[in-house]
Amino acid sequence: MTFRRRQVLALTLAAPFGLVLKPALAAGRADVSREVLLTWHKLILQLVRHTATYVPPVAARAFAYVGISAHEALASGNPALRSLAGQVTDLAPPPARGPGAYDEPCVLHAALQAAVGGLFSNTGPTGQRAMQAMGRKMGALASAGIDSAAVDRSVAHGQAVARHILAWADADGGAVIENMGFPRDYTPGTRAQDWVPTSLIRLQQAPLLPDWGSTRTFVIPSVAALDAPPHPEYDEAPGSVFRGFAEEVYDTGRGLTDEQKLIARFWSDDPMLSPTPAGHWISIVMQIADRDALPVETIAATLAKLGIAQADAFISCWSTKFRYNLLRPVTYIKRVIDPDWEPLLITPPFPEYTSGHSTQSGAASTVLTAALGDGFAFEDATNVAEGLPVRSFPSFAAAAEEAAVSRLYGGIHFRFGNEAGLTQGRAVGAYAAALQTEA
Amino acid sequence: MRTVFLWLSLTAPVVAEPVIPSFGDETATAGLATVYAGEWEYMVGGGVATFDCSGDGFPEVFLAGGAGPSALYLNRSARGGALAFEKTDAVALDAVLGAYPLDIDSDGVMDLVVLRQGENRLLRGLGDCRFEAANQLWGFDGGDAWSSAFAAIWEKGQSWPTLAIGNYIDRKEEAFPWGSCTDNWLHRPDGNRFAAPIALTPSFCALSMLFTDWNRSGRPSLRVSNDREYYQGGQEQLWRLEPGQAPALYGEPDGWKRLRIWGMGIASADVTLDGYPDYFLTSMADNKLQVLKDPASGVPDYADLAFKAGVTAYRPYTGGDQNPSTAWQAEFADVNNDGVQDLFVAKGNVAQMPDFAAKDPNNLLLGVGDGTFVEAGDRAGVASMATGRGAQVVDLNLDGKLDLVVQNRWSGPEVWRQTGELPGSWLQLRLQQDGANRDAIGAVLEIKRGDKVERREITSGGGHLSGSVGWLHVGLGAAEAADLRVIWPDGSEGDWMTLPARSFQILRPGAPARAWQPG
Repeated sequence: MTFRRRQVLALTLAAPFGLVLKPALAAGRADVSREVLLTWHKLILQLVRHTATYVPPVAARAFAYVGISAHEALASGNPALRSLAGQVTDLAPPPARGPGAYDEPCVLHAALQAAVGGLFSNTGPTGQRAMQAMGRKMGALASAGIDSAAVDRSVAHGQAVARHILAWADADGGAVIENMGFPRDYTPGTRAQDWVPTSLIRLQQAPLLPDWGSTRTFVIPSVAALDAPPHPEYDEAPGSVFRGFAEEVYDTGRGLTDEQKLIARFWSDDPMLSPTPAGHWISIVMQIADRDALPVETIAATLAKLGIAQADAFISCWSTKFRYNLLRPVTYIKRVIDPDWEPLLITPPFPEYTSGHSTQSGAASTVLTAALGDGFAFEDATNVAEGLPVRSFPSFAAAAEEAAVSRLYGGIHFRFGNEAGLTQGRAVGAYAAALQTEA
Repeated sequence: MRTVFLWLSLTAPVVAEPVIPSFGDETATAGLATVYAGEWEYMVGGGVATFDCSGDGFPEVFLAGGAGPSALYLNRSARGGALAFEKTDAVALDAVLGAYPLDIDSDGVMDLVVLRQGENRLLRGLGDCRFEAANQLWGFDGGDAWSSAFAAIWEKGQSWPTLAIGNYIDRKEEAFPWGSCTDNWLHRPDGNRFAAPIALTPSFCALSMLFTDWNRSGRPSLRVSNDREYYQGGQEQLWRLEPGQAPALYGEPDGWKRLRIWGMGIASADVTLDGYPDYFLTSMADNKLQVLKDPASGVPDYADLAFKAGVTAYRPYTGGDQNPSTAWQAEFADVNNDGVQDLFVAKGNVAQMPDFAAKDPNNLLLGVGDGTFVEAGDRAGVASMATGRGAQVVDLNLDGKLDLVVQNRWSGPEVWRQTGELPGSWLQLRLQQDGANRDAIGAVLEIKRGDKVERREITSGGGHLSGSVGWLHVGLGAAEAADLRVIWPDGSEGDWMTLPARSFQILRPGAPARAWQPG
C-alpha cells in the first residue's frame, strides 16, 4: 500500500503542552507523529496476517489495544484530549507525565513500539526482524533534531503508557491463544442444526475460539444485552422458511455474476492471508487519513474507537455463535439439497449465526459514520496487492452492507445471519461511538 | 472423482499392521558433522544431496552448511555394515542452502547444482568426487538471490537440461519483507550451454519445484510450491512448458484451483496406483496429499486426501508438544519393503515460533495398503526432536534396506541405519542411457503391483532443497521377482521384464537388464 502525502490541514485540536520545538515547527512535528502512527499501523496489518494466532477476533482485540495506546499517549500531553480511562472497562488512568519537555512523536513512537512488541511477541522471526527494523526507522525519524534528554524522557513515558495498557490487556481473558485458537478437545452438538466441521483440515475439526464470548468487553455492558434474536427455526422440509434461506445461498452460488464473485473475494479477508476483516476497516481509515490529511489526534481517536467497536463486535458475535451453534450453509446444502455443491469461499471453521464479518462491519461503519460523517464517500484499495481492484463506496454504511452480503455470495452465510449480524454490530458500534476522546 | 474415493474405500481382505522398520541412530559414529548454521537468511534450506561420485555405487552425502561451509562426505560404509563417511573439502562453499546432483553435460560424471544466498553455482564433476566451477563454462548466470527451490528436465529435442530455480524473499527488505518475493528463473539451453534465464513471473517465494508429467502428456509441467507467508496474491502454481514456447501458467479456466499454503516441499509418487502422480505438499499444521480428481478429464483439479489417508501430520504425535507442526522435506519410499509406499517427513520449528511445536518429531508414515497410513516414527526410532529441514531416504550401505539422513538447523545432521530384519524383499535399479540425459530424468518406471501398475517418475527436484541421483529402491513384499518396464524420456517403451528380488540391476534402452554387485 502506498500512501500519498498531502499538506497537513490545520490542526483541529489545541497544540500539546511541553513542545520542545518552536511553535512554527509544531505542524512539522504533527506530520512526524502522523507518519509514525500510520507507518506502525501499516506494519501491524502485516503482523496480523503473518502471526499464526491472529484470527479475526484476536486481531480486532490487538487493533483496539494499539489504538488505545496511541490515543492515551497523545492524550497524556494534550489537555484538549480526553483519556478513555473510566470510559472503557477496567482501564485506570495511565501514568502522568513528569516535569520537563516532551516530544510528541517520540512519545507516540515509543508507545506504539512497546505496545506492538508486546501484543505481537509471538510473531515469527521475520515479524520480529521487521519490528526491530521499524523501531529503528521510526525512532530515528521521531528523534531527529530533538534534544536527547527530551527524547529519553518521551520514550520512557511512551513505554510507560504502553506497559499500562498491556497490563490491562493481559487481564481480559483473550491474551493467550493456544493451538491457533482451536480447542484440543471438543464435543460436537447432537442436534441436526448443530455446527459440524466443514473442512478436511485436521486442525479445524473443532470450532475456532468457542470461549471468546467470555472475553472482557471494552464498552458494551454485556454480551447478553446485545445478543441476536433466534434465527429461523431449523427445518429440512421443502417450502420451510429455513430451507428457503439455504436455497437462496445455493441458487445464488450457482448463478454468481462476476461482480458478485468480486465482492465476495474483496471482503473475504481470510486470516493468515489478509489483515482480517478488522484489519480491512483499519486499512480503510488509514487510506482516508492519508487522503484527507487527517490530524494525528483524529486518526488515533478514530482508530481507538474503531478497534474497540470491532473487538466488542467479535466478542458479542462469538457469544451468539456458540449459543446458537448453527451449522453452515455448506453442511445443510450438501445434506439436503446437493451433495456436490461447493461455496465460492472457504467456509470459516465456526458456527454460522451471526455473521462475524457482518457484525464487525456494522460496528465499524457506525463508529466511522459518527466520527467522519454520514454519506462519507471513499475508495478502498486494501486488496490491490492481492490483485483485486479499488472499490468505491458512497458511505460507510454502504460498505458494511456490501461486506455483509458478500458472505451470501461467498456461500458461507445465510442472509439472516448477515442481517442479524449487521444489526448486532450497529448496536455495538453505538457504544464505541459514544466514547469521548476530546475534553 | 470416482477414482479417488475408490482408492480410499478399498477394503483389502486382510490389512495387517505394516511391518515396523527399526533404525539405529549412527550419528555419533558415521562421521557426518556439518551444521546448517545461520540466522534469518537461513531459516529455510538445509539440504541433503546424495549421489555416487566415486564410482563404487555407494551414495556420497552432501550437506548444506548455511552461513558455515558446506561439505561433501565420501561413503566409506561396507555393504550392510555400519555407516561411515569421510569428509572432503571438495564442495566447501559458504551461503549454501541446498544442492541437487545432475549430470548436466551428460558426460557420465555427476555434476552438482548448488543453491545459495547470492550466486548459485554449477559444479562440473571431474571424477573421483572432484569438481570445478562451471558457471562461466556453461554460460550459467548464477544471479544474486535467495535461491530456495530447484527442478530440472530435458525438454524434447534438447541435449542440455532446462533448470528451474525458485527464489525466496528479497533479503534486503527488513521492515516489509512480505510481498517481496523475487523472480524465479528458468534456465533453458542454448545448444550445450545455458541461455539467459527467463523470469517465471509471477513468482511467489518458491520452496519446492518439480517437473512432473501430471497428465501423462509426455511433456512434464513444472509444479511450484510457494510459501504464503511472503507472497501477496499468490498461490500454488503449475506451469505448462511446451518446447520452444514461453512458459504459461495453468489457471482457473484450465480447472486449476487456488491453493494457498506455507508450501515447503513436494514429494511425488503414484500412491493411489491410478497411474498418475500424486503429490504430498508440506506446510505448517496440516499437510496436503493431492490426488487428481478425474485423470481422464485432463483437468488439473486435485482432491486433498491427507485427512482421509491419515497423513495430515499436523502436530507432533509423540513428545508431549501439542502445538502445530512445521514440515519441510517429504519423500515417498518403501522403507519396510512391503511393496507399499511409505512417507517420511522432516519436521522442525522455523526458529523460535512459540505457536508451533518446538519439539516436532519427524514422521514415518507407513502405507497400510488400503490407501491409509499409520505413524511409526517413534516405533521405528527416527522421531527426532531436532529442528529438521532437508533429508534423504536412501540405502547408504546397499543392503536393500533404506536408511535416513536428515539435516537439522543449528544442531547438525542425524543419520540412521536401518538395522532390523524385514520380511519383504527388494530390488534396486539404475536407469542409464547414452547421449544426453544419462540418468534418464523424465523416464517412468512401471512396476506391476497385483492387477495394478505403479508408475514412478524419475525426477530431479522437489523436496526441500534436497535431491538424489542413484539407485531406485523398489520394495517387493513377499514377491521374489518384479515385473517392470521403463518408458524412456523420449517416449520409447521398454519391454516388460522380470527381475529377481534382492538384486541391483542397471537398465538401458533396448538392452537386457545388467546385474550389478557392490564391491
